[in-house]
Amino acid sequence: MQQETHRRPNYFLVFGILAVFTLIETLVSYVQTAAIKLPVLIVLALVKAVLVLLYFMHLRSDSRVFSYLFVAGCVLAVPLILVITVVMPLVLPHLGGS
Amino acid sequence: MSEAVQSTPIPHHENTKLAMWIFIGGEVVFFTALIMTLVLTRRVNAGYEAEFRSHLSIPIIAVNTFVLVTSSYFVVRALEAIRQGNARAMQWNLAAVLALGWLFLGGQAYEWTSLFREGVTYATTFGTPFFTVTGTHGLHVFVGTLWLLYVLIGHRRIPFTKENHLGIENFGLYWHFVDIVWIVLFTLIYLI
Repeated sequence: MQQETHRRPNYFLVFGILAVFTLIETLVSYVQTAAIKLPVLIVLALVKAVLVLLYFMHLRSDSRVFSYLFVAGCVLAVPLILVITVVMPLVLPHLGGS
Repeated sequence: MSEAVQSTPIPHHENTKLAMWIFIGGEVVFFTALIMTLVLTRRVNAGYEAEFRSHLSIPIIAVNTFVLVTSSYFVVRALEAIRQGNARAMQWNLAAVLALGWLFLGGQAYEWTSLFREGVTYATTFGTPFFTVTGTHGLHVFVGTLWLLYVLIGHRRIPFTKENHLGIENFGLYWHFVDIVWIVLFTLIYLI
């Protein structure tokens, strides 16, 4: 039997974190050192996306099936990423690209 | 922020929510393909990238990002309101979402107009993937605002209640996903 659990997350706290992270991202984008800038921006964006998924989209409390469906989409996207970032740069010069 | 994880079967009345998540899974693949075209363009045209980026206004887009994130917050407020049976608060929060959605689209229109004035058109090397990706996202926001209008008008006919508010939840899932896509685009296009 399904047991509803509705302990309300602190949505304002999540929103506050998202807003502050957006501000930090914007400031970090002006940093010229790629070694710092790149990992910080990627981590911040990932944390923001996960917060929205877990709390605003309720994946943390909803049925796991919904999480699996989202992860399935991400897994299906991996070959696309590999083709574009690994295969295409190797193939393009041979096709007359730059 | 703690909530117990439940791994129960999906109740029959949540079939549309299941469909929504299947749709979102597909959208992940769709947007990845679009974003990858931009990544590839950057990779093979590295020499032109700095010139293109000089036309982008990070502060304006940062404000636009904040607008979209704020709209997501109002969506969860609306859902919480109707879960507590407060239809009026739900309507006001959704009205705020609608206003913020249009504000975001206004910001994007302003950005695009500025780019066109500076000669960055769809026909340029970076213009093609940039306008395709941001335009497709903007179209999703626009569709979201139409869906929201439908939800608000529908509420006048068959009101959402404490027990029946799946329509709000499904709209929220769509809107939050569009927000996530923008979080990724903001980082990939404007910041990195």
